[in-house]
Amino acid sequence: MRLLDWIVLLGTLGFIVSYGVWKTRGSKDIEGYLKGDNSMKWWTIGLSIMATQASAITFLSTPGQAYEDGMRFVQFYFGLPIAMVIISVTVIPIFYRLKVYTAYEYLESRFDLKTRSLAALLFLVQRGLAAGITIYAPAIILSTILGWNLTATNLLIGVLVIIYTVSGGTKAVSVTQKQQMAVMMGGMLIAGFMVVKYLPENVSFGDAVAVAGKMGKMNVVDFSWDWETSWYDRYNFWSGITGGLFLSLSYFGTDQSQVARYLGGRSVAESRLGLLFNGLLKIPMQFIILFIGVMVFVFYQFNQPPLFFNEAAKNKVYATPYASELEALESQHTELFAQKQEAVQGLVSALQTEDETAIAAAQAEVQGITEASKVVREDAKALIAKATPDAETRDTDYVFISFVMKYLPAGLVGLLLAVIFSAAMSSTSSELNALASTTVIDIYKRSVKQDKDSFHYLRASKLFTAAWGTLAIIFATYASMLDNLIQAVNIIGSIFYGTILGIFLVAFYVKYIKGHAVFMAAILAEAVVLYCHFYTDIAFLWFNVIGCVAVILFGLIIQLGLNQRKKVMQAA
Amino acid sequence: MKDNQSDSQLSADTDKPPFFKSWKGMYWLVLGNLAFLIILFYTITRIYS
Repeated sequence: MRLLDWIVLLGTLGFIVSYGVWKTRGSKDIEGYLKGDNSMKWWTIGLSIMATQASAITFLSTPGQAYEDGMRFVQFYFGLPIAMVIISVTVIPIFYRLKVYTAYEYLESRFDLKTRSLAALLFLVQRGLAAGITIYAPAIILSTILGWNLTATNLLIGVLVIIYTVSGGTKAVSVTQKQQMAVMMGGMLIAGFMVVKYLPENVSFGDAVAVAGKMGKMNVVDFSWDWETSWYDRYNFWSGITGGLFLSLSYFGTDQSQVARYLGGRSVAESRLGLLFNGLLKIPMQFIILFIGVMVFVFYQFNQPPLFFNEAAKNKVYATPYASELEALESQHTELFAQKQEAVQGLVSALQTEDETAIAAAQAEVQGITEASKVVREDAKALIAKATPDAETRDTDYVFISFVMKYLPAGLVGLLLAVIFSAAMSSTSSELNALASTTVIDIYKRSVKQDKDSFHYLRASKLFTAAWGTLAIIFATYASMLDNLIQAVNIIGSIFYGTILGIFLVAFYVKYIKGHAVFMAAILAEAVVLYCHFYTDIAFLWFNVIGCVAVILFGLIIQLGLNQRKKVMQAA
Repeated sequence: MKDNQSDSQLSADTDKPPFFKSWKGMYWLVLGNLAFLIILFYTITRIYS
């Protein structure tokens, strides 16, 4: 990190935090603090919704995912625009009519207190865990790459967020998210421009995309379906459009961190427009981020990539008896790269001459060397695991940040780090704000202290925001590395979202099912989802469908049973 | 829940979208955009596979 990078990073973060605190100072009641006095315009809501969903993991993991697996992750978002329309049509008018602070309040008017409390608790558990990961994910990567202390990095992100979220509540979250989105998208577009600029002179943008295609990275949509295997495939069109729809319905319709964003709208129209804005722009945004990852992949076809992107973890092996084995693998990696570079240049020439025979031959040669390189990389990962058993052997989260640190000029490194910090802060602030409002409105105000004045609940909201922030920092500090980070967050979400969505769908559309039945059905459905997670290989996106459908089916069966019993008792 | 209701919320359900005569137009815009993106992505997949 050079001085200019520090100035850009600290200047950007300092400005956003100060602006957030100054602009939203003086919330005097709970209405202003938790709902922003219903003053938000649609573009603020739309940007706030997008910034809440786009955590630092989005910017660290997604390009790495594209590097490894191509563009197909974008299919995960295909259900999102449909969910935005459904929520705009059905959910928003109901929430506005009932004038709720949280989504779970509605469940008490429809069912009963225990169902409201169950849904609120499921949300608090999954969102409380996710808030820790939202801080931990960038902190572990930044601390590894930059050599910073992990606890200090966790504290820096957590404390900055706590300052303005405690101070200004919902309005501070939304106001700062506008600046954070500008930093995030601006920084990513500049990074995308730079990676294309760094390609060799004889390789045009079109050539780069063609090379990516020939190497299997432009696999954006996959319509194929196999009854044997597709259930276990995380990203295809069908899982994206169905599982993604259910996940989006649950996330945007029932997760308070998103519901709070549009409940702060000036009117139903502003809230709807904010959601539809997200429905229009989310997929293109994800496409751009993935495409930057693919361009980083092409860049590394002409510039030697590290054998293992988490170089700090790799370098630890040199202090063990396995150092010579690693050196041998590094030599093989360098040798294969030299061959591959030549083969890829041959592929570019073949593509430029449009000679199909030459293209096929060059493609086969590149594929052969790529496979050999993969074997060397796998051997290196196995060696790292053997030499340092605690090491994480997935390095996709380090692909993009490693490129940024090694190749971008002074100033831009600071800007890209500001992107990652901004993303971490934007999603964490929404989470803390939502955790606090659910704790205060659905638990504390409803079941603990019912008759206090507005100032008391305002103070309680601030205290709970700070408390959840502190818990998130503690969880982040003690969390261990989880699989791929973006997937970890989505898996945790999917385990709980299906059940919560099922409760809400029953509430909205299945009037036959009443409070007792839906409560028992939700508990059974959650048990089914947990069984699927721990004892089957079903892809996590399907948990959303399974949990939701299970609540509805169990609800119908239990309600039928309760009605039968009632009839029998009445007859007796 | 809140005890009072502001004027803006009272008229909320009758708010019109800014770009179309009704909300249906907005919804079709979002769904049409999704269909367009899927077709575009499928075309990209076919061209570059």
